[in-house]
Amino acid sequence: MSVTFVEKVCVLGAGSTKYGKLADSIADISTQASVSAIDSAGIDPKDIKASYISNVFGIADKQVHIGPVLMSRLGIPDKPSLTIESACGSGSVSFREAYANVAAGFYDCLLVTGVEKVTHTGTEWTTTYFAYCSDFFYEGQAGASFPGLFASMARAYLTEFDATEEDFAQVAVKNHDNGVLNPKAHMQKKITVDDVMNSPVVASPLKLYDCCPFSDGASSVILCSEKFAKANGGDYVEVIGSGRGGSPAALQGREHLTTIPSTKLAVADAYKMAGITAKDVDFAEVHDCFTIAEIVDTEDLGFFEKGKGVQAVREGRTKLNSDISINPSGGLKSKGHPIGATGVGQVVEVFDQLTGNAGARTVNDAKIGLTHNFGATGASCAVHVFQSV
Amino acid sequence: MSIEEQLIENAKNGKVLTHKCTDCGHLHLSTAYYCLKCGSKGFEDVLLEGTGTIATYTIITVAPAGFEKYTPYAFVVINLDNSELRISGFMAGITTPADLPVGTKVKITDFDERGIIVEKQ
Repeated sequence: MSVTFVEKVCVLGAGSTKYGKLADSIADISTQASVSAIDSAGIDPKDIKASYISNVFGIADKQVHIGPVLMSRLGIPDKPSLTIESACGSGSVSFREAYANVAAGFYDCLLVTGVEKVTHTGTEWTTTYFAYCSDFFYEGQAGASFPGLFASMARAYLTEFDATEEDFAQVAVKNHDNGVLNPKAHMQKKITVDDVMNSPVVASPLKLYDCCPFSDGASSVILCSEKFAKANGGDYVEVIGSGRGGSPAALQGREHLTTIPSTKLAVADAYKMAGITAKDVDFAEVHDCFTIAEIVDTEDLGFFEKGKGVQAVREGRTKLNSDISINPSGGLKSKGHPIGATGVGQVVEVFDQLTGNAGARTVNDAKIGLTHNFGATGASCAVHVFQSV
Repeated sequence: MSIEEQLIENAKNGKVLTHKCTDCGHLHLSTAYYCLKCGSKGFEDVLLEGTGTIATYTIITVAPAGFEKYTPYAFVVINLDNSELRISGFMAGITTPADLPVGTKVKITDFDERGIIVEKQ
């Protein structure tokens, strides 16, 4: 894709609620996250020209059309908003649309807020709602759950490559180790491979601890032009690459069952725009909705060869401050997965890391961070690359 | 009948309705409206036998609403015989991975509230 940009785009501020089972309403938590991002940026709400809101199941908390509600609470009801749904990838897709609007010069300062509130509906109904994100005629209708679809990828991976269920468990252990260091994480507890292996089977071969939790939560960032960021003062991070891609909606339509085509398309665009390769990335927040997903992601993003991602995990090469820190925040697995917020929350982590505010989970000497977030089984995907200033 | 209804009626008879591109010959499940390879809109119907082998699968114990009474069951993706196509379905009576090695020969037998029904050959 060849595009002429008018403006360099920067992240000027970022904030999240805690992820987990939250009591406050979807309108409340989206406002809390937005206010924290506005405060982090050191701007006035009236500086915001428009907002991009990512949310999937607002109807579950009796609130769709969240944008105007949020704008009203922020004292800027006259400002336009747009709500974007792209399943679990909604946050990054929303971020991308905001990015494009700043890059094109339409707006100099935007609010991007992702939010989800589902845990009150219970496991059965959350599982059911999520299944609506599949190609329902072929998958959801035949009883596929999301753990089931990723379990189908896991079974294919176990069949094709030298991998074991214990290897998958190592991903969960690593991400929980990171999540313990993140005060906003949903699951702040260390676990062992045995804990994973002994947890109840959800969809064979995936067990409960191979799966990210259903979470409530909201995350926000302020996105602006470089000119706006410089005039504002304070820390900011530059967005140097942005890519998107798509995949056949159903697993059955993909040539390989252990690769997500949209990831490869999105990252190729993002690396090209940034003028970097996978080797230049210091850390990445990747879409680890299930342990198998993180292994597939790290291969599709070019960090490891196809089939070798599992070996990298086995050798500890993806731990915090090892070869490449994968999911220093704890990832979806430990930080939690409020699906509309997740992609924005990844950017919050990158902002905190690259501005020196990541505390005990800091990736040492990090200059370049990457976010990777997809919808459903990777039918939609966005990748972004960020650089410290 | 809609495209989905036609696919369902054929599945009830153990068949898979496919669309063959009249320009390049590429075969698709019948829900395709444009050719994946050449973009053509011209298709002819080709009826395949609903037989094949397990490409991958999972055994689901935590089910979406409506499927609790069937657990454990398998969601399967099958490689259809005599084509490059895959299709997904529901398989009852599968409790452990030993019941369903990848490559197991299966066939489509029906379509009901559980979607496309698959059984061992």
